[in-house]
Amino acid sequence: MDVLEGLNKLARRAREESTPVFGVADAVRLRILSEKPQAITLIPLGLFGGLSALAASVILALAVQFWNYMTSPVMELVVPLREIRLW
Amino acid sequence: MTSVACHCCPTEGMIESSTALLYNTFVENTDWPDVMASVRGDDEAYGRLVRRYEKPITGLLWRFTRDPVQCEELVQQVFVEAYFSLKTYRGDAPLLHWLRKIATRTGYRFWREKAKEPREISLPEFDVLEQIEAAQDETIDPAEAATVLQSLLGRLPPDDRLVLTLMYFEECGTQEVAERMGWTRAKVKTQALRARRKMKEIAEREHLLERLGWTF
Repeated sequence: MDVLEGLNKLARRAREESTPVFGVADAVRLRILSEKPQAITLIPLGLFGGLSALAASVILALAVQFWNYMTSPVMELVVPLREIRLW
Repeated sequence: MTSVACHCCPTEGMIESSTALLYNTFVENTDWPDVMASVRGDDEAYGRLVRRYEKPITGLLWRFTRDPVQCEELVQQVFVEAYFSLKTYRGDAPLLHWLRKIATRTGYRFWREKAKEPREISLPEFDVLEQIEAAQDETIDPAEAATVLQSLLGRLPPDDRLVLTLMYFEECGTQEVAERMGWTRAKVKTQALRARRKMKEIAEREHLLERLGWTF
């Protein structure tokens, strides 16, 4: 018998081997769940965005007020000093 | 979005028309409803597919490793990878063919990674050929025959090993091996020729036929 013929014969016998069955369905499901990218829920994101907008509007309102009170620092040079009555 | 009834399973409900166009109506694909449900996120449907094809996929991966723990890990990898690639399955061939392609590539990757690892134990120490009792013709046990053959194939480089594994165990032709691996048919033919020559040398060096008692 030729070696290659022998190998073919060995392969024919090997194909008759019954292979094990592991029952992987549950393990696969768990792995899929752990590897699946989690969907980002919009509620916390919206809440965070809302709070940020609120804080920003408060800061803006204060900034506008301060802006109105602000005078130029050069003004002091051109405007004559006003006498301050001490008593 | 318009919907059409799936031709092979009119009672299973409707599927999206854009996907239905991809589906080749010439192939009877009874898995289609479960595939579509799985794509939509139905875990139960995918569980049914896993249970349906676990046996043939395990049978294929058993040719890549005879270690039950490693084999189970590979089977799981195949089904997880298949799940995340399920959108690319067009249904123009049976699902099992598509799964076999993934399994073959997973097994091949496994061999290549194993080949990179340093071997701490010399192979001859665990050489199954040393343990063969002379068998009389067909009396050799199929599991023993598979162990011997896989042990011999294990001495080949991954490419050669893969081609012969698919030919010996899965009875694949060169065309099918090429399709599964995305190689050209010419490459597979050359690989097979070279691999057979190497296998012959190994088997002769090991006096395989004498050990099996097949010298008639």
